[in-house]
Order: sequence, then C-alpha cells, then structure tokens
Amino acid sequence: MPRVSDQVVIVGAGETKVGKLPGLQSVHIQAWAVQQALVDCGLRVSDLDGLINLDPYAVPHSMFSSTLSEYLGLKPKFLSTLDVGGTVTGMTMLQQAVWAIEAGHCEVVACVYGENALTARAPEQRGLAMQNLMGGQEWEEPFGVHGMVTPYALVAQRYLHQYGATVDDFGEVSVLTRRHALNNENAQMKKPMTLEDHRASKLISSPLRLLDCSLVSDGGGAVILTTRSRARQMGQPFVSIKSMAMRATHSSIAQLPDLEDFGMREAGRDAFEAAGEGPEAMQVALLHDAFSVSVLITLEALGFCQPGQGGNYLRAGHANMGGRCPLNPHGGLLSQAHIGGMLHLTEAVQQLRGRAGRRQIEGARRAVVSGNGGVFSVCGVMVLEAN
Amino acid sequence: MSNSYQAVLHTPTIDSIPFWSACNQEQLLLQRCGECEAFFYYARRLCPHCGSEKISWLQSAGKGTVFSFSEVAVSFFGSEWDADLPYTVVLVDLDEGPRMLSRMLKQDQARVSIGARVQVSFVQVQAQKLPFFELL
Repeated sequence: MPRVSDQVVIVGAGETKVGKLPGLQSVHIQAWAVQQALVDCGLRVSDLDGLINLDPYAVPHSMFSSTLSEYLGLKPKFLSTLDVGGTVTGMTMLQQAVWAIEAGHCEVVACVYGENALTARAPEQRGLAMQNLMGGQEWEEPFGVHGMVTPYALVAQRYLHQYGATVDDFGEVSVLTRRHALNNENAQMKKPMTLEDHRASKLISSPLRLLDCSLVSDGGGAVILTTRSRARQMGQPFVSIKSMAMRATHSSIAQLPDLEDFGMREAGRDAFEAAGEGPEAMQVALLHDAFSVSVLITLEALGFCQPGQGGNYLRAGHANMGGRCPLNPHGGLLSQAHIGGMLHLTEAVQQLRGRAGRRQIEGARRAVVSGNGGVFSVCGVMVLEAN
Repeated sequence: MSNSYQAVLHTPTIDSIPFWSACNQEQLLLQRCGECEAFFYYARRLCPHCGSEKISWLQSAGKGTVFSFSEVAVSFFGSEWDADLPYTVVLVDLDEGPRMLSRMLKQDQARVSIGARVQVSFVQVQAQKLPFFELL
C-alpha cells in the first residue's frame, strides 16, 4: 500500500490570473505563481530551499527548474522538473516534495506548474499542439490523428455505445462546471451555459463538440509544502496528504485499453484504501476534466456511481454546490482554465483551508483529486485532509 | 469530396521499416512473440507482454471489428487539410488480437459503426501505401 509521510504538509497555494497573459513567458508565469503561493502563507522567496516545476509544453525548455530558480534568486538544496501528465504531474511534484523534505534535503518546497500555452500558439493554430511529443506519432498522424481531441472522441464514442449513454450526459458535465466557474472571479469563461448551448456547439471530432473540450490557457499555480512542525509555528491552516496512488497503462491512443481497464480504477482503489476513507467520505471532488467524458469515466472509476451512471449522478444533483460531493467548484479545465490540473490541487488546498471565498464548501474536511495524462494513459488519485 | 487523401508521413524507424515496407506490397504485418505467442502492434524490438526478444513478423488476415470511431470535423494539422474533411478515424480490434488505430476509406466513412466488421485496404499517399480500412 503506498504510504505518504504525515510529517510534511501543504501550507500555501496560489494562482496567477488565467486566460491570455500576453508578453509573459513560462518563467515569468511560474515565478508569479510561486510568489502568490508564498504570499498566501506569509513566507518570502528567501524561505524556499526546494523547487519543483513543469517543463512547459508549448515552448519546451531544458533544465527549467534551474532557469526558474535563478530567476527567483534561489540557491536551493533540491531541484526537479517533472512531466508525468495532466494533474498527475502536480501530484507527483507534491509527492516528490514530501520525500525530499522527509529525507532532510530541504524544509520549504514550492511546486509550480504554469506556462503561456494560449499566447505562445502560432497564429491560426487550432487546439493545443504540444511541441514536446508523446512518442506515438508514427502510429497516429498517418491516419489523421493529431492532438488530444480525436483520441478522447474515440473514448467518448465507445462510452456512448458501451453504456447506452447520451451526449446530454456529456453536456451535464460542461453545464455544471460552467455554473461553478461563474462563482470564480479568476475564470476564463464568464457566460452561463445551457444543455441547448452544448448541443448546438460546433462539432469538432464526433461525438465531441466544442463545449466538451477544455480551454487552452495561459496561467500558473503553485503549492508550498513544509514540515508539520514548521507549519504549526506559522500559525496558518494547513492540509495533510493522506494518500497518493498512480497507475500507467499506455501512452498513445493507438494503445488504448478497454474503458474499464483504465488505470483510474486501480489508482482510486489504492488511494482510498491508503487513506482509510472511500468516496462517501469526500466533501469535494477535483476531477481532471480535459474533456466532459473524462469526468464521467472518473466518477465511475472512483466509485461515486456505477459504470455508465455518471450522467444520472450529475442530474441527481450530487455534484452540485450543496450536493453530496461538489465537483470542481472552481470551474475546472472546462471553464476556469487549463493549467494542467494544477488548479485542481490549489483549489483542493484552499477549500480545505477554508479560503475558497464565495465558493467555499461549508465544513469541507476531505478532498479527492484525480488526474490523467495522455488519454487516461497515466492516472493518479490523491486524498487530502484539513488539519 | 475529393478522391485524394492527405496524410502526415513519418520516416520509418529501425523498428518499423518492415511494417511500412510490407504496406507498400499491400501486406499488413504484425509482430508475434516466439515465447508467449502474443501478437502485438505497433512495431518494437521486444514483446510488450513478456519482454522476450524472440520476435517474428507474420502477415495479418487484415480483418477486424470496430472498437470505436470518430468523424473528424476540424483539422488540427492546419487549414490546408480542410478539403479532406470530414474523415473518419477508427480503432480496429484485429482478429489476431491487437487493437490498431487507422482511418476508413471515404466511401465507407459515414456508414461505420461500433461492432462493424472491416478489412484492411491500402491507399497510396505520396510515396507510401497506408493501411486504411473498409466495411466488410
């Protein structure tokens, strides 16, 4: 059973503005996110002795942790750059920070994810084409597959067939997350959305429509970890990591397993077992929502409902604010911003610290965060708890 | 709808040269493990099921069942592809076992469904024949 040390905790979280941030490059955005997270918990840049970041996708960069470290003026004892995929990258940053702090390498670590994925795109580019490739191109591009929408469309079409689901089940996800995003001042999308809007949106790759797809965004998010004893001295509310588990099954869409063999099911089972709590004990769910269908598959894999019942679960109101377990109160990748899921982690931290402002879930004590990189290629689940 | 096809072609690697060369002879080759006897796709130099390096190339019957499909309505390769739209991408479960990503021939792309039986059909694109599929 994967265990996480309870002697390292999360004391701060921050995010930059999201959307278009013209003129800012990845290093500026990541530095800004780190500063926001430090301000959030009353620390200064000079307090950091560890730094873990993402190598940006839109404009890849070697040794990016040292680039950011130098920009911030740090001389850290621990540096790392990570790319596992989706929110699993953020979770793995946190896990690596726990190991580094627990082993005595450093005491205060910033984990940061951020880039200018929107404004760094070439003019007329559609979707997000990542410049750091995933390895399956030789078996995808000759057949007309490029980027992430068509791969997820193949998953979505199979989902409809296998469970007799409808495209309105997808629409429920998009409409719910948009409603939640309207509660978030720092969200790219500002207009309400109805199921009608979803049905009428442009077909991209059947059965997925524009409003099934997450945003392309500039922006960043960061989380600060330190020892439990230092967190107590700081007098700040903090958050414990109860568990983290991951499972990787493939990389490219050309190697897609059956829907119920995605790694999310086993990662969730391991994470809940290690936390000693199941989905029924969670007060907020931050589920990776690169596409609407991703949320349905994840709800089902994590045991919030039976396979194929994700749409009915949403229609019953269980994922609404005030429902059994509110889903993505910040608006998620579909309607707040796509910062690789790092804002799922910052949102979980702020909900559990009671600092989520007007979207605060009353009495939120435990959060589950899910992530997947690629096409459910790498799946990760993390359980967090308020102190 | 034009009758020509566009595709982004890659330079074959040391692993994939036999596969793409056979496509030009209108043969669909799969690798098979000499130890665990599993067929696999795509080309590589060890068996992804057991790690064995005892691998041989065998000809596939080229028949399979559609696992999923998607009609692509927007080109992610750029506007120069717009004349090719829409086209239909398929995931095919080959009768030998492996799942393969491919594309439907134009005349069948609007009629494909999950569970449909399909067979390989080679299409010349630039200097390479590509293993697309048609309805059986």
